[in-house]
Amino acid sequence: MSKSKNIDQTSNELKFGSDNPNAIEVKDLRKIYAGKKVIQEVKAVDGISFSINEGEIFGLLGPNGAGKTTTINILCGLITQTEGDAFVGGYDVKKDLNKIKELIGVCPQEAAVYKFLNAKENIEFFGKLHLMNKEEINERTERFLDLLGLSEASNKTAKKYSGGMLRQLNLIVALISDPPILFLDEPTVGLDPRVRRTTWKFISSLKETNKTVVLTTHYIEEAEALCDRVAIIDYGKLIAIGPPRELIEKHNSKDLEEVFLKITGRRILEGI
Amino acid sequence: MKRKRILALVKIQYKNLIRSPTPLSIILLLPIVLILICRLMFGSVIIEDIGKSVFEFLVPGLYAFSGLFMAIPVALSFSEDREQGLLKRINTTPTTGTEFIGSHLLSNMSMAIIQVAIIGVLTFLMGYRGATAGIILAFVFMVIFSLSTIGFGLITATIAKSAKAAGGIIQIFVLPQQLLASGLYPLPPEARVIGMFMPLYYASDALTLLFNGGALSDLRIWADMIVLIMFSLVIVIAGILLFKKYGKA
Repeated sequence: MSKSKNIDQTSNELKFGSDNPNAIEVKDLRKIYAGKKVIQEVKAVDGISFSINEGEIFGLLGPNGAGKTTTINILCGLITQTEGDAFVGGYDVKKDLNKIKELIGVCPQEAAVYKFLNAKENIEFFGKLHLMNKEEINERTERFLDLLGLSEASNKTAKKYSGGMLRQLNLIVALISDPPILFLDEPTVGLDPRVRRTTWKFISSLKETNKTVVLTTHYIEEAEALCDRVAIIDYGKLIAIGPPRELIEKHNSKDLEEVFLKITGRRILEGI
Repeated sequence: MKRKRILALVKIQYKNLIRSPTPLSIILLLPIVLILICRLMFGSVIIEDIGKSVFEFLVPGLYAFSGLFMAIPVALSFSEDREQGLLKRINTTPTTGTEFIGSHLLSNMSMAIIQVAIIGVLTFLMGYRGATAGIILAFVFMVIFSLSTIGFGLITATIAKSAKAAGGIIQIFVLPQQLLASGLYPLPPEARVIGMFMPLYYASDALTLLFNGGALSDLRIWADMIVLIMFSLVIVIAGILLFKKYGKA
């Protein structure tokens, strides 16, 4: 924990908390929601372990309610695990949450932006929460708005945006502080195929800046197209992990959906 | 605690007020309409015992009454931000809880100052001349009272499942105080005693004394201030603790 290394010279000199090559490490993580009266306890995450390398795009794949978002919420410090350990950038989520928050960018499932502000104002606000200066915010804002095709609408208030535009703004807000570690929770849900492709291209381009991306999705083709490795989760348990191609070959399947079907006996989309 | 973050958060709350007609009209337009109505209805009705119009008698209570409206936008804003996932998102940034709540306290306290100034100017234009000490201390009392409105807003946002529900639930805190503690209505002694368990009572009582020429040496004014500070602190701390434990999800 004492040594630190610079993981991205362009990213505000943000530093990991250890020399561990893993950007994220999860050990026997559990999140159990205690039952009340007639409601049974729920094991949202049930003893999962994995590690994510620096610069890797890592997919968490599984049906709705599988435990993907719960895992991300633990890693971001929004909820506390019941058992197990989790480290982000070498920092323990139970002890060093403030340091972790300086390293991460989070794109939540819902478009969490202020509807009474326009795109630029939203981005500027979240940039300021990361103590960025105005020039830095403006430069990055223009670049991202241009890359995701939002430049023209950037002065309209977000309440006038379509669902797709809101989701793209949601993504830009997560990236504004140039965080070395990104959590993208279903970033393309509800997008039309054209916008989805643009977003995929954008997420792929993050690899060039050595960002570690944790992406949850239930779109099989998205995981196959973007992820270096995927972890398939079902009922809170990790049922397979590895590069998509490797998993497909290992299980003699045509895609990840078939891998899931062979392991669990049901389809990913059944849970959706 | 970083000043830049707090200022960014305060700026957002002001932009929300300016761009959303509902909270702005609750905080500023409602008091203005209320004062205009009171002036029209009671401006020429004289209370012979004190030689003042009913309107002039009501002005101190109107300051207090109007201050209470600020609890409504606070409750709505916390509930809406939670509903839209913004509280969670802010919680994933390096922003601390102290910075977040501190920004709400600052924006509400400054809004209280603006509200008092508007009421002061408006009533002055209508010919009301209260004691100078009263006008100065009105700012102090209403800034202190604004702390409790944040507490009421936070407690409401904790209980309410949605922003719509918050708009209704906040009335549990607003209406009894307006009726029993604002000093606007003649009340039987029993009702006045109930009012004494509400922070607005102390703001209204002190302002009524001050505006009607009460001396600054009057201990009742300072006792009112101490009780108001205690009430406001307890309510805002309770609101923060409850919201932190049960209201953020």
